Amino acid sequence: MSLFDRRLLVNTGKGGVGKSTVSAALALAAAGRGKRVLVCEVNTHERISVLLGARAVGTEIGRVADGVDAVVVRPQEAMRQYGLMQLRYRAVYKAVFENRFVSRFLRFIPSLPELVMLGKILHHVREAKWDLVVVDAPATGHGVTFLRVPQVLLDTVPPGAMRSDAEWMNALLVDPQVTAVNLVSLPEELPVNETIELGNAVKGTLRMHPGHVFLNRAYERRFTDAEIEALDRTLEPPCLDAAANAAHAQAARAGLTDRYRAKLREALGLPVLDIPFLAATDEFGRPAIDAVAALLSRAEGRP
Amino acid sequence: MSTRAAPLEALRTKRVIVCVGSGGVGKTTVAATLALKAAAEGRKAIVLTIDPARRLANALGLATLGNVETRVEDEWLRRAGIEPRGELWAMMLDLKRSWDDFIHRTVPADRAEAILKNRFYQTLSSALAGSQEYIAMEKLYELSARGDWDLLVLDTPPTAHALDFLDAPNRVLDFLDNEAARAILGPALAAGRMGLKLFNLGGNYVAKTLSKFTGGETLQELAAFMLEIQGTYDVFKDRAAKVKQLLGSDEAAFVLVTSAQAFTIDEAIYFHQMLKQERMAVAAVVANRVHRDFLGELPNPTTAELADGLARSGIPDAGAPPLSSRLEKTVLEARAMATLDAKHLARLAAACRPTPQLQVPRFETDVYDLPGLWTMSQHLFPGA
Repeated sequence: MSLFDRRLLVNTGKGGVGKSTVSAALALAAAGRGKRVLVCEVNTHERISVLLGARAVGTEIGRVADGVDAVVVRPQEAMRQYGLMQLRYRAVYKAVFENRFVSRFLRFIPSLPELVMLGKILHHVREAKWDLVVVDAPATGHGVTFLRVPQVLLDTVPPGAMRSDAEWMNALLVDPQVTAVNLVSLPEELPVNETIELGNAVKGTLRMHPGHVFLNRAYERRFTDAEIEALDRTLEPPCLDAAANAAHAQAARAGLTDRYRAKLREALGLPVLDIPFLAATDEFGRPAIDAVAALLSRAEGRP
Repeated sequence: MSTRAAPLEALRTKRVIVCVGSGGVGKTTVAATLALKAAAEGRKAIVLTIDPARRLANALGLATLGNVETRVEDEWLRRAGIEPRGELWAMMLDLKRSWDDFIHRTVPADRAEAILKNRFYQTLSSALAGSQEYIAMEKLYELSARGDWDLLVLDTPPTAHALDFLDAPNRVLDFLDNEAARAILGPALAAGRMGLKLFNLGGNYVAKTLSKFTGGETLQELAAFMLEIQGTYDVFKDRAAKVKQLLGSDEAAFVLVTSAQAFTIDEAIYFHQMLKQERMAVAAVVANRVHRDFLGELPNPTTAELADGLARSGIPDAGAPPLSSRLEKTVLEARAMATLDAKHLARLAAACRPTPQLQVPRFETDVYDLPGLWTMSQHLFPGA
């Protein structure tokens, strides 16, 4: 089943690995196949609109590319939307949720901020307005906490509004026809170890369906070992010596890429898709995202 | 003192250095390098790390046990080519355990147990934004008060946002301030333990509506938490003030770590502003993993020049595409990346002036061992 046939794609991984890049590219690739896409960033600095060269959207849904909308999901606004949905009457909402004391400690209620943010996102999944919702999830540890919330509530909360929400939310999350969790990683020690832990948590405690592993900033094998060996001495002219040093560094990174790709494959048993290190382009510009989107689209095959 | 020498001076004179920055920029490695350099310079230095890469932890001799200070053996340092005039120590911070210890120290034993089991405490000690940062700083303060080390270098938790760090004490205090709970839970709380047993949400409209969402048990648990924690607010507040005082004193300095990527640079600039606003001293901005321009001052080479050089060196220009053109592509890509980094780092330097900027190149492999840390230190402090 293609990634693009799902209704919800959650992209997660360690901070700084390029989750936003992957989210933006997946959204463009899906839109290129005629899907109507919404990208949700969870309680973070807004990046998707920047990456796509669009105007900032903030916490109100806005258009960021052809066929792609985006929104930043924050607890406070999500709480308000959730509160209004539940209470129906604005006056009641104001009296309770905007009570000076209540609003201060609502965010401390275990799992409530995560529940309302996840609730808002999954509400959009159920809406007919979008074919696909892409979530740029919080970094590893927080990501698992975030996705686990419905389960935790089912285990701990007695019947009530929170529990019945947790039920339908969990059903969507664990349905492999609906949801896939993609893992974004880098060919480096810490990100790879975290990705493996995360992948195991997705299959294990979260009981969710893993999609792809995206290995970002992957270096291709460009030089043979024999070539690197031949170049490993002082060379003339100086520009050749400089180029030999650059080749040596490139080959070292390519070697790491191979090693970590193999480690990820072996540990997770999932397809690993390289996103090549895009030299000579500003990593955070629309052309770079377009290039990654084209690559993802090719990898998923023609619709 | 030139600004270039200021970071080194900080290593020689400060008692506390806090490494801050976005996740994934190499904060842990930089923190370990700073402690190593200070130890080489003759100080008794300890690096307090949080969740280091396993290989780095091994290199520092850290077992899995949390919160235990471990001395890095001089023999290991010598084998890595470092002659220690001081001592290098390391400790892996277990933040959950630090919270539990803190509660045990602050609250009478009978109440501490109840608190540790409470779900609100679990939110406080793990999920609340800023709580990890808060307890790391608290631990730093505790160790600094012991006076066993000349220098403590703290590697802070990966922060999604600068404010999570700087605002951490306020967020924790906000959580513990029971004025809010008293307003909602009112009489139940005032009546103490007896009241809690009989707790019902009877006449309280706000509490009743809320419990529709959370279930009544959640509010009961909140009431229990607030009851147990009563009276500790002032203790926390006092400690938080002392930590802040230490961090703002002449004895402490911050080192801001960043990569050369546009987004982390934006975050670093913001972080720097916030630190300055709080009147915290920033000893240096460290730009880590900066791409190298292997060509230095040389102009872009042509494929012909490279092919010619290969021929003269007796290296076959084979393959498809031929080696010379792959070499050209590779060295020019590196130059393009270096140029891009330089542009971002110039923006960073301008925004953080006059804080000195130190750069560490992107190495062929990432740094996980003592020789690697030592190489990094030579890049940070060339000629020192």
